[in-house]
Amino acid sequence: MSEVVKVEKTEFENIYECVYNDGTTRLCTKNLAPGHNVYGEKLIKISGIEYREWNSFRSKLAGAIQKGLKKNPIVRNSKVLYLGAASGTTPSHVSDIVEMQGKVYAVEFSPRVVRELILVAQHRPNLFPILADARFPQYYRALVEDVDVLYVDIAQPDETDIAIRNAEFFLKDNAYLMMAIKARSIDVTKDPKEIYKAEVKKLEEKGFDILEVIQLDPYDKDHAMVLAELK
Amino acid sequence: MKIYLVEHAIGAFAYDEQGKLVDYVLNSKDLGKVVEALIDNEKGMPLPSAKELLSKLKPDEVVVENEAEIPELQKNGVKASLEIHNIGSKAFRQSLPKIALETKFTSSEEELYSFLYEVSFEYTRRKLRGAASKRDLLAIQAIRAIDDIDKTINLFSERLREWYSIHFPELDNLIEDHEMYANIVSKFGHRDEITEEGLKELGLSKEKSQRLLTAAKKSIGADVTDVDIKSVRMLSDTILELYRIRRELTDYIESVMREVAPNVTTLVGPTLGARLLSLAGSLEDLAKMPASTIQVLGAEKALFRALRKKGRPPKHGVIFQYPEIHTSPRWQRGKIARALAAKLAIAARVDEFSGRFIGDRLNEELKKRIEEIKTKYAQPPPKKVQEEQPKPKHKGKKEEKRKRKNK
Repeated sequence: MSEVVKVEKTEFENIYECVYNDGTTRLCTKNLAPGHNVYGEKLIKISGIEYREWNSFRSKLAGAIQKGLKKNPIVRNSKVLYLGAASGTTPSHVSDIVEMQGKVYAVEFSPRVVRELILVAQHRPNLFPILADARFPQYYRALVEDVDVLYVDIAQPDETDIAIRNAEFFLKDNAYLMMAIKARSIDVTKDPKEIYKAEVKKLEEKGFDILEVIQLDPYDKDHAMVLAELK
Repeated sequence: MKIYLVEHAIGAFAYDEQGKLVDYVLNSKDLGKVVEALIDNEKGMPLPSAKELLSKLKPDEVVVENEAEIPELQKNGVKASLEIHNIGSKAFRQSLPKIALETKFTSSEEELYSFLYEVSFEYTRRKLRGAASKRDLLAIQAIRAIDDIDKTINLFSERLREWYSIHFPELDNLIEDHEMYANIVSKFGHRDEITEEGLKELGLSKEKSQRLLTAAKKSIGADVTDVDIKSVRMLSDTILELYRIRRELTDYIESVMREVAPNVTTLVGPTLGARLLSLAGSLEDLAKMPASTIQVLGAEKALFRALRKKGRPPKHGVIFQYPEIHTSPRWQRGKIARALAAKLAIAARVDEFSGRFIGDRLNEELKKRIEEIKTKYAQPPPKKVQEEQPKPKHKGKKEEKRKRKNK
């Protein structure tokens, strides 16, 4: 078994890289809930601080970082509205990054996975689990506040419209939208690149500045991560 | 006057057209009430605090963010329109912590967020409950598994202590906690490999580490080889793994219990709650039990002995684990047990049949009653002098039996 020799900082705040003795590196974050892992990932303890390995094949945000994301708007103290939290794999890392002063409002619609999300949130006082339909932001407006980052990963045909509606509701001025597009759930017959273009155009029409579009293969096939800023 | 109405878990707020806060009504901090109001709001009912605010301000026009509320408002003769992220809601949601402090909803930001955390949990659990079926049975199996694990941990720990004591007998008396003992064996193995730093990492106090290190140096235990230690370690590793599983199961039980039986859980906590379900058989069975039965669940043996031999019935079964019962003086325990059982019966029925969250209220009432018991019965009752008269009914039966035998 390869072992971690050291943990290094990356260019992004609160995101680290663990270096193995065989020279390979993997992303990790400081564990906000020491002793607990979320999806079977490895816990690494180095000089008294516990880190959690961040699997790029399971988290699109990690995949995007590995694929050369230039700017990560999710930093310490960020308030994040996370749509499509699922069982909490990526939200747990987001909760690590924003630390206790930051807040993660995790919205998920499927009861089945919310059960697991609740188990994750139990140890993370900055992660608020909300079982609600992202199509109706008015239903959870009473539980959240305006946010610095809207993170959307919901794999619906009308994903972009849902993202825009939520941005209208909750996004501060000059705040960011991060959206993972799954081309196959928008239209299986079209070329993924065309789909990205069309969705990006929709965002631009609504006043977003597109900063980056990153394709996520080999971590996720036919997926792209869009980073946009609301003007 | 035209107002922008903002509804939030902490209350209802009215803003004017300049985006200035005109007036507000705060919500209660009762989780059940807040969550109920939020769920009703989805169906178009304004929050109770919003209604109060509107009747106070009597505006000509109201701007809301939830379209479903418009008909309800207009029914009450208020002109209502929809505008999302309007000047009011923007002002509110961009400075939520500040407003919570200014309106004295909470006295600190942490308090606000821990309230929101609780509300979103309860809101989510409440919605999950609809999708739950037979999840109480899962909690029951999990609590039984924990009991099995506890038995196993004890068994293995006894063996580990005997085994490792061949090498380092002094450790047995120094460390009482089984988990700590297993940790030390797993981490160091040989007694001369124990280091002060390592013990500190395990969370042992300085004084204790010192005593342990001296003991290790002067130990009268036998020397053993690495191979011997390796086998002992397999056992201590297993014990640690069992502790890990136990913790995960406890977490799991907590989340399931808060989902299927939130009121019972609020009263007595997830572990005792699950134990009650386990003894009753299911939430449904528990809900159908009278309080008097709940009071003695887990003490069946004592109860039937008492019924048979006309002795004193037990005061409590597993609910003895409730801190207020086992930390109170003996003469108060029965009364507290009775009060708790009564509240548990209500809680179980609400959990099974309605799903409302009234745990906070029940808890408060119970605390009040316990307080009352503690002041009213602060002194032990005077000892009874005369012996209790045996009931003639039983006597009669017995005599009848004897007569029959004699025949």
